[in-house]
Amino acid sequence: MSGEKRRWIIFAALFAVAIISYILPIQIESRPSPEVQKSYDYIENLPDSSVMMISFDHEASSLPEIQPISLAILRHLFRKNLRIIGLSLFAEGTAIGYEMLNRTARQYGKIYGRDYVFLGFKPQHISAILGMGESIRRVFPEDYFGNETDTLAVMQGVDNYDKVAMVISIADGDRAVQWIEYAGARYNQKIMAGLTAAMITTYDPYLGSGQLYSVVGGLKGAAEYEKLSGHLGAGNRGMWAQTTSHIFIIVMIIIGNIVYFRSKSSQKGRG
Amino acid sequence: MHTRIPLLICLIAGVLMFLQYFSGHPAAKAIYNNILDWWQIIFAFTLLVGVLGFIRNNLRSISRKKETPFKTIALMALVSMPFLALVGGTKIGSPFMWVFEYMQAPMQATVFSLLAFFVASASFRGFRARSVPAAILLVSAVIVLVGRVPLTEHFSTSLSKITFWIQDYPSMAARRAILIGIGLGSMTTALRVILGIERTYLRGER
Repeated sequence: MSGEKRRWIIFAALFAVAIISYILPIQIESRPSPEVQKSYDYIENLPDSSVMMISFDHEASSLPEIQPISLAILRHLFRKNLRIIGLSLFAEGTAIGYEMLNRTARQYGKIYGRDYVFLGFKPQHISAILGMGESIRRVFPEDYFGNETDTLAVMQGVDNYDKVAMVISIADGDRAVQWIEYAGARYNQKIMAGLTAAMITTYDPYLGSGQLYSVVGGLKGAAEYEKLSGHLGAGNRGMWAQTTSHIFIIVMIIIGNIVYFRSKSSQKGRG
Repeated sequence: MHTRIPLLICLIAGVLMFLQYFSGHPAAKAIYNNILDWWQIIFAFTLLVGVLGFIRNNLRSISRKKETPFKTIALMALVSMPFLALVGGTKIGSPFMWVFEYMQAPMQATVFSLLAFFVASASFRGFRARSVPAAILLVSAVIVLVGRVPLTEHFSTSLSKITFWIQDYPSMAARRAILIGIGLGSMTTALRVILGIERTYLRGER
């Protein structure tokens, strides 16, 4: 079989496996990992009206994986009656972040300006992170809609990171690293990250050292978080498709090695 | 003379930013805040330079009849998105958001999703136990892959433990070594730039 033809068969088979698995109404129970449990417990134990900052630091490309994480965390934040400051340090995350924040806020009957605010996007993320450590108003004098930040009830008493219980960076790249290195290291800000599965290992050293408080990683992390909060969503819905796709890749590795060793032994036989 | 002034600015800015870290004096705070503001202003100008460079390169390709349809679409997208934002705003339900949600996001997600297919194909063709190190890598990868599948958690807890061990010790040790190397390299480069030893950013002079 030619390499081109073989590749097409693999692509078509993976496509079929993912689509059929997604359509089938099969639910897998996800056991919460220690990291997700730690994230959930921290938010669960916060007193009412604590201030949480959530930064949507991702592109549209990772939305299918990132959105379930964002929604699961946002639902929990709103259910706990926390004050939420949303922002984005990635231009594309701005519209997505506001849409998710607004949609979830509506589900919980929250009022813009009183319970939550969206500050919008700021270019040059490092200076923005450092600047907010001195004064959030200086970096964001106005919110996404041009309202003066000072005039919003949700921002009352929040000058810098001192009153922010935790910063949650929803990231598909290394932007959460900058939150750790600048807000965490310089201002002792507690940082949590919602990450794509591919990025989790990048953050392991920060997690091990305690510089990063906790992580909700990938669709699996979202599914675990949804289970803890008792609101099953897109994370749990996608778990079966992700599981079968993983199994498919493992099968491909095994078949690839069988083919390799068989061709090697036949070459030896001929030699 | 033409290099001395930028070198002096670099030295003063570098030393000031280094010293202010250890000072809580209001003057140090004021300087720090001003430099952060300037940083953002300079960055905004670099965005402008990027956009102008993008337009110039695409126009040049179009004039040379090289990938004309793609370059034209790219330029149209560059013009139309700010136009839609200026005319209809960027709120939910606006034309800008419609294009973003129903065109840009699905297109980007599609490109990102293709990775899964390439991973599947590469796992078949490239992930082979050709040598002892390759075999160790292969076994570790399969254990982590199987250990991260939610289904296996219901059959075996020890596989999850092995997965976490691989991630927490061998994998983390390698990553830490890389990160420490990057950190030391960054510090050295920063010192070289501040002290004017590294001058490649000034017209390639050393």
